[in-house]
Amino acid sequence: MPEAIEIQLKKGALELCVLALLSRQESYAYEIASRLAESIGMGEGTIYPLMRRLQNERLVETHLVESSSGPSRKYYRLTEAGKASFASQKAAWTSFSDAVHGILGEVK
Amino acid sequence: MTRQAFMARLRDGLRGLPPQAIADIVADYETHFADGLAAGRSEADVAAALGDPGRLARELRAEAGLRAWEESRSPSAGAAAVFAVLGLGAIDILILLPILMGVGGALFGLGVAAIAIFFGGGVVFAAGPFTGMPGGAAAAILAGIGLMAAATSLGALLTLVTIGLVNALVWYGRLHYRLLKPALEPQTVGGLQ
Repeated sequence: MPEAIEIQLKKGALELCVLALLSRQESYAYEIASRLAESIGMGEGTIYPLMRRLQNERLVETHLVESSSGPSRKYYRLTEAGKASFASQKAAWTSFSDAVHGILGEVK
Repeated sequence: MTRQAFMARLRDGLRGLPPQAIADIVADYETHFADGLAAGRSEADVAAALGDPGRLARELRAEAGLRAWEESRSPSAGAAAVFAVLGLGAIDILILLPILMGVGGALFGLGVAAIAIFFGGGVVFAAGPFTGMPGGAAAAILAGIGLMAAATSLGALLTLVTIGLVNALVWYGRLHYRLLKPALEPQTVGGLQ
C-alpha cells in the first residue's frame, strides 16, 4: 500500500520535475532521465513516452545540436506554453505541499 | 537483457505505427544505450534501468494513437485512440466494454436513422409533387426539405456527441495512464508482460 502511494506521488511529480529541469536549461533525454532516476528513482525508459507527450502538447520543442563526438544530439527546451504550464504547476504544487507539510507538522 | 534483445522487443511492440514514428522512437532508445555505454554502464544495466520494452511500446503506441486522433478527427483515428487507451489497461475493459458497446450501438443506430430520414426526405422532395400527396406539390417539397434539414442537424449533433465521447475517453485514459508504474515496479526480467 505505501508503494502505491509512492507511485502516485512520483507520477504526479514527474512531469513537474522534467519541466523544472528544462526551465533551468535545455537538455537531452539521457541527461534528464539519469538525473531523475538518481534523485526520485524513476525508470529511465519512462522519460521517452513523457517527452513525446510533452512534445505533442507543445510544451517542449526539440532541436538538434552538433556534437564533437558522434552524431548530433536532440535537445529539448520549453516553449512559451511550457513555461506558463510550469509556472502554474509549480504554484499548485507548492501550495499543496505546504498544506500537507503543515498538517503533518501538527500531527507530530 | 542485451541491447539487441531490448531493441527487438521494442520494435516488435511498435509494429503498426507509421515508419517515421518507429524510426524516431528507436533512435531515441539507441541514443540512450550509446550514452549509457559511453558513461561506462553495461548493456544489461541500461536495459534494466529502462524497463520492460513491451510496456514502453504500449505507452508509446497509445501516445501516438492519441496524437493521431487530436490531429485528424477521423473515425479511424478515433477508433485507434480508443483501442490504444484500452490497450494501456488504464480502464477496466470488462466494465467499460458493455457501456461502450451500448453507447456506440445507440449512436450507430441514430446515425443510420439520420441517413434514412435524409433519403426519405429526398424521396418526398423529388417524388411528392408528382404523386399527388395530400396538401399539394408545395407542401410535399417543403416537407421533403424539412426532413432533410432535420436529418442533417441530427447527423451533426451525433458527430459532436461522438467526438465528445472519444475526447472524454482519451482524457480519462491519460489521467489514469500507468506511465510511471511499470518503470517503478520491480521488473520481472524476461517476463512476458
